Amino acid sequence: MAERSFRKVLIANRGEIAVRVIRACHEMGIASVAVFSEADRTALHVRMAGESHAIGPAPSRDSYLSIDRILDAARRSGADAIHPGYGFLAENAAFARACEQQGIAFVGPRSETIALMGEKTSARRVAVEAGVPVVPGSLQPIAGAEAIRSEARRIGFPLMLKAAAGGGGKGLRHVLREDELDAALQRARSEAKSAFGDDSVYLEKAIERPRHIEIQVLADAHGNAVHLFERECSIQRRHQKLIEESPSPFMTDELRERMGSLAVALVERARYVNAGTLEFLVDAERRPYFLEMNTRLQVEHPVTELVTGHDLVKLQLRVAAGERLPFRQADLVQRGHAIECRVLAEDPDRGFLPSPGRIEALHAPGGPGVREDSGVYAGYDVPVHYDPLLSKLIVHGANRGEAIARLRRALAEYRILGVPTTLPFFARVLRDPAFVAGDFDTSYVAAFVARSDGARERPRAVAAAAAAIRALRERQAARLAGDASRLPTPWFDAGLREAQRGRA
Amino acid sequence: MIFEALVEGRTLRVEVSGRGARYAVSVDGRRLEVGWHETAKDLVTVRVDGQVLELGLERNASGCVVVFPDDRLAVELHDAVRGGTLQGRAASAGPARVKAPMPGKIVRVLTPAGTAVKAGQGLLVMEAMKMENEIRAPRSGRVQEIAVRDGQAVETGALLAVVG
Repeated sequence: MAERSFRKVLIANRGEIAVRVIRACHEMGIASVAVFSEADRTALHVRMAGESHAIGPAPSRDSYLSIDRILDAARRSGADAIHPGYGFLAENAAFARACEQQGIAFVGPRSETIALMGEKTSARRVAVEAGVPVVPGSLQPIAGAEAIRSEARRIGFPLMLKAAAGGGGKGLRHVLREDELDAALQRARSEAKSAFGDDSVYLEKAIERPRHIEIQVLADAHGNAVHLFERECSIQRRHQKLIEESPSPFMTDELRERMGSLAVALVERARYVNAGTLEFLVDAERRPYFLEMNTRLQVEHPVTELVTGHDLVKLQLRVAAGERLPFRQADLVQRGHAIECRVLAEDPDRGFLPSPGRIEALHAPGGPGVREDSGVYAGYDVPVHYDPLLSKLIVHGANRGEAIARLRRALAEYRILGVPTTLPFFARVLRDPAFVAGDFDTSYVAAFVARSDGARERPRAVAAAAAAIRALRERQAARLAGDASRLPTPWFDAGLREAQRGRA
Repeated sequence: MIFEALVEGRTLRVEVSGRGARYAVSVDGRRLEVGWHETAKDLVTVRVDGQVLELGLERNASGCVVVFPDDRLAVELHDAVRGGTLQGRAASAGPARVKAPMPGKIVRVLTPAGTAVKAGQGLLVMEAMKMENEIRAPRSGRVQEIAVRDGQAVETGALLAVVG
């Protein structure tokens, strides 16, 4: 691949990640092209980009998932590269292939690598070949119900039933006993069919109370590969991450070294190029098991940026342009501690139900060590068509204690009004002794909600007082307005106000 | 003024007087001195007995929502002198009609008609905004009707279930 630098990059995404990529482009002197659906005409990424193109109606299948429309926008704008962000077409091998065929650089791995890693059992086979331990289970997708039952008996219960084409928790079932298998299988397959158009599944032994720890990797097209350490992602609900941090409080130097080497071995085996992430489960005895590889930038990439001091999006663009990595493994160190909270338009008091609507007011936190990667603004209507991520609040501190204190402080400053968000929930989690001690696994959120929601001291008296004061003030204002309308002249009104001054 | 305030399932008696930046409030007999400065739309800095709090005040159909850094409380006010009924109580007395909070697709029904449910129990699972979400019972009772079926697409406001 010849080295060249991009002049213009199209961002095939929306929301905070589109904003994030646009920022990197502008800092590099690269022109940016936004694409938008009809629902996103006034979205922040459209306002920030140098140029923007409409790509269709609100539903993502007709806009952000339309390969033809996005390539058409790339041709019209003369973009020489496409950054896919995460989600949508980011792990779509057909899209990467179409870019390759059109001579537009796809900022990510080659299409055949995406296909190899996208089919989860072939990713497991590559891992086994590279000497990376995988969760015990099937190495081929299984289609027939009888074959699945006999494979399940071979692996043993409890087990995880997963969609072979899967990701994002879709088509995923935890099966405790054999008699639950048939019902779980039916649901997993129908979910997988509707999400991925492919209902084949595979089975893995369930790891009890695991940590979810992932390794960031980066490789260039010249055979250089490094890892950028771990991210701890155990704070999740329904397989969706809520809080991520680096380093992991569960990590030892020895395990970090081992998982990093395993990750680089897999990257080299797959001849992987660009940024990627290997997800692992780590059991109570600190044994890592490879789960899957995400062949794209992760939502939680900022925690790695803050602890390593490297801008992953810029590095992605440079690698995609054919440049060599500007550092070797030995040059990389973890400095301090970073934590990210995903600020979602979801109501934590109603089972994290999505809460689209208008953002009436927004006050972002600031001060030392605070980063806010946002895709919204005051007055913006959060659409119902896409995922509910509004922004990410990320802090960096000298150590985990300072990062936690800083995140608490930043959460207390952060106000988003108009729609319920996950902000108050994070403020409560950050006070929880188990979280502060780093004592958690992937079952944490469900357990925290169950034990704390009923027992919560809620500031009812202050809430009632505030509501009553506002009602009183509105009554007083209405009375004043009513009086004013009956008064003969503004002069009389002014005189009356003068006479009333100081009376309260 | 005297209000009855329904705050997240509890009714409190609130007396309030004052003007401008200073108010005296009594909540169920507990007296609070409150300083009040509106700093932006829907945002107010209050001093409650000396402690400074930044509160968000959102309007909703039945009153307001007070947003704290670590909590969010819906408050319904009822003027105790002028009379009337608390909307929340009126709603909890009759059958509750559960409507779709956003457009989406019904993934599965958890409680068929006739099932006895507790407030907060999941009635059905709806896919919306890329997530599977549980739609919960607003009150305890019996599921009188499930108005949708698995796989059905629904628009905002569509009737999903009736719990009585």
